[in-house]
Amino acid sequence: MTFQFLSPKPHSYTDKVDADGDIDMLLKTERENFETKVVTPGELVTHATQYMGGHGTYTNETNERLSSVAGVVDRVNKLISIRPLHTRYTGEIGDLVIGRITEVSQRRWKVDINSRQDAVLLLSAINLPGGVQRRKTEADELQMRKFFSEGDLLVAEVQGTFQDGSFSLHTRILKYGKLRNGSFVIVPPALVQRCKTHFHTLPCGVNLTLGLNGYIWVSKHTTQTVEEFAIYSNENEEIDQENREAIARVCNSISALSRHFMCINDKTIVLAYEASLNFPVKDLLKLDVMVIITNEVNEKMTSLKAGMRR
Amino acid sequence: MPPALISPSENDYILRGVDSNIRADGRGRLDYRQIILETGLITQASGSARCRLGEGTDVLVGIKIELGAVELDGADEDVAAIKAKRGRVVCNVECSPIASQQFAGRGADDFNNELTQMLDRVLNGPQGGLNLEKLCIIPGQQCWIVYIDAIVLDYAGNILDTIFMTTRAALYNTKVPKTIIQDRGDGEIEFEISDDEEEWERIEGWDKVPVAITLNKIGSRHIVDATPLEELTTEAKLLVTVNKDGKVCGLQKSGGGSIEPSLLNDMVQTGRSLGQSLIQSLDEMLRREENDINLKRARKERIEKLGFFAAI
Repeated sequence: MTFQFLSPKPHSYTDKVDADGDIDMLLKTERENFETKVVTPGELVTHATQYMGGHGTYTNETNERLSSVAGVVDRVNKLISIRPLHTRYTGEIGDLVIGRITEVSQRRWKVDINSRQDAVLLLSAINLPGGVQRRKTEADELQMRKFFSEGDLLVAEVQGTFQDGSFSLHTRILKYGKLRNGSFVIVPPALVQRCKTHFHTLPCGVNLTLGLNGYIWVSKHTTQTVEEFAIYSNENEEIDQENREAIARVCNSISALSRHFMCINDKTIVLAYEASLNFPVKDLLKLDVMVIITNEVNEKMTSLKAGMRR
Repeated sequence: MPPALISPSENDYILRGVDSNIRADGRGRLDYRQIILETGLITQASGSARCRLGEGTDVLVGIKIELGAVELDGADEDVAAIKAKRGRVVCNVECSPIASQQFAGRGADDFNNELTQMLDRVLNGPQGGLNLEKLCIIPGQQCWIVYIDAIVLDYAGNILDTIFMTTRAALYNTKVPKTIIQDRGDGEIEFEISDDEEEWERIEGWDKVPVAITLNKIGSRHIVDATPLEELTTEAKLLVTVNKDGKVCGLQKSGGGSIEPSLLNDMVQTGRSLGQSLIQSLDEMLRREENDINLKRARKERIEKLGFFAAI
């Protein structure tokens, strides 16, 4: 029941200087054989005029190509574009995303996936109760809200794109579908890495679904497989105090990582979780504790990286 | 405003979490997030403050003191007589469309009105705290008008509490220039506004301005400082405004749900004690900030306001 007031703090530039004496992410020796380059708005990308300008670039009077966003330079043959760090999600086919239903319409749902436009989930692209190969009937069309209604969260895969740039999704794998038993975290989509699997079970007994669109679902670990007919259930299982605390701790660890703009995958989350164990769960919302945790993760990641190099 | 959405399972998760005193972010029912506060960051304003609550909610309040004519309301003689001797407070709250998708386009219009009215009712009401008579320069003619403009820059729940505490901080920061009144005899009164920047006074009664605590009823319990998802789960909201003496200055219930009489009593009591300790911590912070500035001034160091360049 106490109130904590803090003063804002200025940026500190001094404490993260590397061996080169700058705060660049890479050492000079590494940078030479490393393709990506980070630019800020207005920064020169290239002098050369033979390149075509893609998204996130513009030319000035002297025909130099400059960046209009903060991000990394992406070059495909002669096309140069900048991939911004803070942006809406741009999907690719096969991406695993988490979305929220915003609208139910004729044979389709509109899904918010943090993209520029809402994605579309067709009735024919979901698993209908009663078997994978079941054909959809008119009755299914009439009771679409029984499967997904407005507000529901679901995990799905990007199936394709439409002419206008919006995405179509599908949930025709049993792992996909409605989300239950947990809580929802949002991070910038640029932080979530593409991995082999986006479903993880952390050692602390928490299930994690990392959507590439920056939506993350943290839920209670369940061993029992969902029965065919219960895939569209809205009922939560009983979650005890201990599980709740673990879920909250994982959520807060993820928020701490995202606040300090560190990449989010199962490894960093486990490290952050371990570092957080010294503090009570609600203290993880405190700014100074976040700094301690992310610094610890940073150190461990660098030592892991150094170990791998050797 | 298009309603933000929440799924039934999230709803249930939050409801049961509140019941067992672990919310989705690990806080207890009556835990407040950390508040980052800075005052005096807008140099063009007479007073300003910015509060940020935890990860999100960001409110900027600017106060401008301007000369104006007193309000001459002829409807009722008694009322007119009182009003002629008073300064005025004009409030305006605006939610920036970039703060949340809900505020995009015209979406925030109704909400802006609601917030503006809430702030206006409290500050212009009998329990507003400000000594409006002190703001009058020449009765029946000239007075100071206090324009309070709040803008919500980012939204992560609990806007109203933040607006009220930022307003209090901005009022503390506000400098009213000194006026020198000269009586010319023959009934004509003239006044002069001091040019000296050092000659100013604080708005009298800033310390009596109440703060607000919003209590959200979820299930059969109540929580403070709700996140956006928790606000969607909320059945009924109770806004309790409290001044530094722990006196309740106003109540407003919103939301579709109902509140049982016993719970209502409980909520008011919680709001009262929380509000009082909020004011204590806030005032302590304001004094600390001012002491720092005075210390720097004494040492002839540069006084820098961070404003939007702050890292945290």
